[in-house]
Amino acid sequence: MQTFLYEDIVPLFPELTVATAAIVLLMVGVFRGDRSTRSLVWAAILALAGALAILVQEPERSVIVLRGMFVADPFALFAKVLILVGSGFALVMSISYIEREAMDRFEYPILILFATLGMMMMVSANNLISLYVGLELQSLALYVVAALRRDSLRSTEAGLKYFVLGALSSGLLLYGCSLIYGFTGTTSFDALTDVFTERGTQPSLGLLIGLIFLIAGLAFKVSAVPFHMWTPDVYEGAPTPVTAFFAVAPKVAAMALFLRAIIAPFAELTGQWQQVIVLISIASMLLGAFAAIHQTNIKRLMAYSSIGHMGFALVGLAAGTPEGVRGVLIYLAIYVAMNVGTFACILCMRQKDGMVESIADLSGLSRNHPVRAAFFALFLFSLAGIPPLAGFFAKFYIFVAAVNAGLYALAIIGVLASVVGAYYYLRIVKIMYFDAPAEPFVRPIGGEMTVVLGVTGAFTLFYVFYPAPLVAAAQTAAYALFP
Amino acid sequence: MLYAAIVFLPLLGAIAAGLFGRLIGVRASQLVTCLALTLSGVLATYGLYETAVVGPDKQQIVLFTWIVSGDFDVSWTLRIDTLTAVMLFTVTVISSIIHWYSIGYMAHDPHIPRFFAYLSLFTFAMLMLVTADNFLQLYFGWEGVGLCSYFLIGFWYDRPSANAAAIKAFVVNRVGDFGFALGIMAVFFTFNSINFDTVFAGAPAVAGKTFEFLGAEYDILTVTTLLLFIGAMGKSAQVPLHTWLPDAMEGPTPVSALIHAATMVTAGVFLVARCSPLFEYAPTTLAFVTVIGAFTAFFAATVGLVQNDIKRVIAYSTCSQLGYMFFACGVGAYSVAIFHLFTHAFFKALLFLGSGSVIHGFSDEQDMRRMGGVWRKMPVTYAVMWVGSLALAGVPFFAGYYSKDLIIESAFAAGTEVGYLAFYLGVGAALLTAFYSWRLLFMTFHGPTRAHHEVYEHVHESPKIMTVPLLLLAVGALFAGVAGYDAFVGDGRAAFWREAILVLPGRDVIEAAHHVPLWVKLLPIAIALAGIALAWQFYIRRTELPGALAKTHADLYTFLLNKWYFDELYDAIFVRPTKFLGRLLWHGGDGRIIDGFGPNGIAQVVIQLARRASLLQTGYLYHYAFAMLIGVAVLVTWLFTRTGGGAP
Amino acid sequence: MIIPEIAFYLFSVVAIASAFMVVAARNPVHSVLFLILTFFNAAGLFVLLGAEFLAMILVIVYVGAVAVLFLFVVMMLDINFVELRQGFLQYMPVGVAIGIVLLIELVFVLGTWVIVPEAKVFAEAPPPANVTNTHALGQILYTEYVYLFQAAGLVLLVAMVGAIVLTLRTREGVRRQSAFAQTHRRREDAIEIKKVLPGQGA
Repeated sequence: MQTFLYEDIVPLFPELTVATAAIVLLMVGVFRGDRSTRSLVWAAILALAGALAILVQEPERSVIVLRGMFVADPFALFAKVLILVGSGFALVMSISYIEREAMDRFEYPILILFATLGMMMMVSANNLISLYVGLELQSLALYVVAALRRDSLRSTEAGLKYFVLGALSSGLLLYGCSLIYGFTGTTSFDALTDVFTERGTQPSLGLLIGLIFLIAGLAFKVSAVPFHMWTPDVYEGAPTPVTAFFAVAPKVAAMALFLRAIIAPFAELTGQWQQVIVLISIASMLLGAFAAIHQTNIKRLMAYSSIGHMGFALVGLAAGTPEGVRGVLIYLAIYVAMNVGTFACILCMRQKDGMVESIADLSGLSRNHPVRAAFFALFLFSLAGIPPLAGFFAKFYIFVAAVNAGLYALAIIGVLASVVGAYYYLRIVKIMYFDAPAEPFVRPIGGEMTVVLGVTGAFTLFYVFYPAPLVAAAQTAAYALFP
Repeated sequence: MLYAAIVFLPLLGAIAAGLFGRLIGVRASQLVTCLALTLSGVLATYGLYETAVVGPDKQQIVLFTWIVSGDFDVSWTLRIDTLTAVMLFTVTVISSIIHWYSIGYMAHDPHIPRFFAYLSLFTFAMLMLVTADNFLQLYFGWEGVGLCSYFLIGFWYDRPSANAAAIKAFVVNRVGDFGFALGIMAVFFTFNSINFDTVFAGAPAVAGKTFEFLGAEYDILTVTTLLLFIGAMGKSAQVPLHTWLPDAMEGPTPVSALIHAATMVTAGVFLVARCSPLFEYAPTTLAFVTVIGAFTAFFAATVGLVQNDIKRVIAYSTCSQLGYMFFACGVGAYSVAIFHLFTHAFFKALLFLGSGSVIHGFSDEQDMRRMGGVWRKMPVTYAVMWVGSLALAGVPFFAGYYSKDLIIESAFAAGTEVGYLAFYLGVGAALLTAFYSWRLLFMTFHGPTRAHHEVYEHVHESPKIMTVPLLLLAVGALFAGVAGYDAFVGDGRAAFWREAILVLPGRDVIEAAHHVPLWVKLLPIAIALAGIALAWQFYIRRTELPGALAKTHADLYTFLLNKWYFDELYDAIFVRPTKFLGRLLWHGGDGRIIDGFGPNGIAQVVIQLARRASLLQTGYLYHYAFAMLIGVAVLVTWLFTRTGGGAP
Repeated sequence: MIIPEIAFYLFSVVAIASAFMVVAARNPVHSVLFLILTFFNAAGLFVLLGAEFLAMILVIVYVGAVAVLFLFVVMMLDINFVELRQGFLQYMPVGVAIGIVLLIELVFVLGTWVIVPEAKVFAEAPPPANVTNTHALGQILYTEYVYLFQAAGLVLLVAMVGAIVLTLRTREGVRRQSAFAQTHRRREDAIEIKKVLPGQGA
């Protein structure tokens, strides 16, 4: 009988923290009821912070534990930090919303914790099965939180659509996994790498098709075209803090998983999957740029924005080089900061009669709320990729990587798409600064929102002065994928 | 250091007034620019003394390297020799006097700091021009002067006529500048350098050499100097590029004074004098210069006869006097040309500022037909206008007498056909000059007033801030000639100019000009006096004569009044076809083709695509599911086609 | 060894045919019944592979629980399936086209199917002969796959929590039974005794 050593468990401490916290909080919630939602949210934030603390104090190393199912390396570390930070911010931003909008279901923080746990498992997956289990844990929790407001038709519809399409994508993913297993005889990433590198086997066509199905399933999670269709509806229908959460952490996790599942195991097939990634990357960038132009709902616009941004991040993946992976990781980090900030601004869009989410409601914001408008404009400029804000550097690393990898056409299309994309971001800035003021928003935005805005705003604005730590960390993380 | 200060003090003043004018206020802007220029003028006076009298040979003060590209090596260098020192002195002194005068003249303008900033910047550009040590630096100053003239002529930008005049000045100058730029390129092509020293040293070796272009042989130096001279024609308003100059009167009067007396228009003369080592080896060009100069001198004087705008009369007089300077250069009397430039700067500035004072007194009236009878009301202005006119007409012992008469004598002494042509045209122009000068004086100050009653009652002498500069200039107009005569063109000229101006041995017309027959010496004086007498006859004694004459020679009168129809000619030949072509390219080429397919077309396509992309999102679940499945199918098929269907 | 092959083709053909009927059947109850048939045939294929435990699990869980639940849902919810299927024919051609394209491509895959000899090396070693199927699964479930086993448990937990979150709601205007309240009702709470005086009414 094989036994498990303490060392096998140590790399799982962050995950165990989150899991334990989720189960304990579930018990507390069940016995205390919905009254305890607020304290449960804080407890969940605390649990995430604790997991983050454990995570960052771990020594930097690459270990594979639990019979090759779970890998803890700098890449996973980087992605997990982003996931925990993103989830934490999403919870912080939802506190006042929960109370105001009567969404005080105690399960909300618990489901967020489970989703976060699923994401952490995803980025540490070292096997197609652990990949799938993590993915499902995350997805199931997300389906539920999307439909959390049962009294809202849109929220219910969003949850249902997400669930059905998610099931379809899981089917595609599983079919791909089974093809891969069938043609290689293994589900382990390490073994997959060996199949090609050590034996020099020519990959068969069936394997390639399996790979495409796998990519399709993963592309659904990062909402890349043509698997993006759920995104606008779900973003619009879900409660705004949930949308904020959707836009940040799951994207990071899915993209990190994408990198891990494609880069190392299928390194020998780079020539093949590169073409597919290039295709969906171009489609995502273009659709994200064009479809957002006509939107009137800010959340829907952010959905297209995130589709476009994922397209840009996929450019780095298409490069398939350490430089490209580094670019993707930096992109994700900056994307998290920008999106959290933008959604904090959107969550502040509250008039006397309740939340509003139409772009027209932002009209003349600069006169009613100059500081808020300045922050919003800052994030929008950054999303548009205007130097010297952080968003510019995100795109810069990606495009440099693409050019160095010889993907000139991709880089050029990307730049053009970002030009088109800049239009709709700047249109909002124009509406905020040059149009006649609309009804003012409710004044105090709450201390936690101020903190979130301050932190993300400072990161976006001052990244240009001190990029070294992030770049170095992303560099280390990227090289962990390249043995 | 001294010379750098002379050049850059006006720039500092311009920066202070231009960029910080709002901050430091109107008064401080005026003071800082005026003081900077005055200081610059004082230094330049010392500089002239040092260079011309104490005199080391030429100095070259390297500021820093500008462009190094292969053989092409250009640095910012101040070249200080006598020519430069004279120009520095003239420019800074006249400019500083105009600055002080402007305080009074522009007192009621709302944009005073901007005005003073432009004035100082203009002066700086001119100083850069005269201190240039290579053609590129010269070109920098040249263009800077053109740009600032555009600012200044269009200073009252709310007047359409001012804007039109500014654009006209700029565009006509561009024509000349194009020739000038080609000339510089030709210089570089020929000498592989654009530094003056290298070029001038290499000129004798190139003299007489030819190059082939389109099957014909051309003399290199002739072509080069002709191109350079085209630039000079534009800047110095020589026929046929003179049309911008009268229109430039739309600017404030101090601007007219600055542009027409000391800066800008003299740049062309300076260029020819500076490049005398090149022009001397190109006799054909010199002949051309002589003819153009002589013709302009005469032409402008005829037009000046019939103009009614007081400033336009003086403007045509400037044009005419520049013609004198050019034909002086043409016959080889560069130093006489510069001497005339020097004296002319004083009395022309005096005339302009004096007319400005008159305009000021008549409440911004410029038409001489609505003036008259005010000589008792503005005695100082009246007196200085007399001094200026006497100097302009070349009446003995005033400044103009020394320089202008010597030009006419030089033209005679040159002994060539073009020389004689220039002599006779010059004498004729002198008669006309005297006539229109006194016509101006008589119409403005004498006779019964034709001004509106209220205006006439209001006529007053200008404040001290304006009259003192006038008096200073009057002193210059009185004594500049006699003071400079010996050094500039007299026996001391060799020691004065040294190698700043090159005249080939055996072509020293100045020496010959001192020994022309007596009648030649007396003719200009007699002619001038005759002109004055004629004017008196026409405008004081028998005032009905001008009208009668205009009636009997109506054709001639309208011909002159319309300035020989130059503007109309250009309008028909250049302006309208160009406008037509421009409109065609604008509407057809740019609007329809480039915008249609370019920005607007792309924007249209983007909007269309955006609408389509939004329509993709139907909201139906099975559409989404189908999209995903189609996506997978497409990706698989795509990979199949890429890998050829078989195993990769 | 002809019997297993006959059995394989029988199970396979019936499985595919009944899977098709799940989609094609007009009556939803028939669809569910065909689904059950499909499960049974899949279980038969598992038995042929020697995985009798999985076969039984499939029958018990999918047929016994899931499919029956489906049946209940279909019968209890009064859903107008004709209406739901209205778009079906409209999208039929597209669906068929996609299906055919994918099918052709998969046939290509089968055409190039090469089982590399070394693939067996990577395949997990078959269970020893003297260990039963169930025993073998049990041995690796808590060792080799403990991580996945626990994670799957979490997935189920989330599914349960989610189901409760989405369905358990306190609605206004619905009468609920409370056994505690019923049994603790006292006579005094329910009945008020009033003396009725003659000729006055209540």
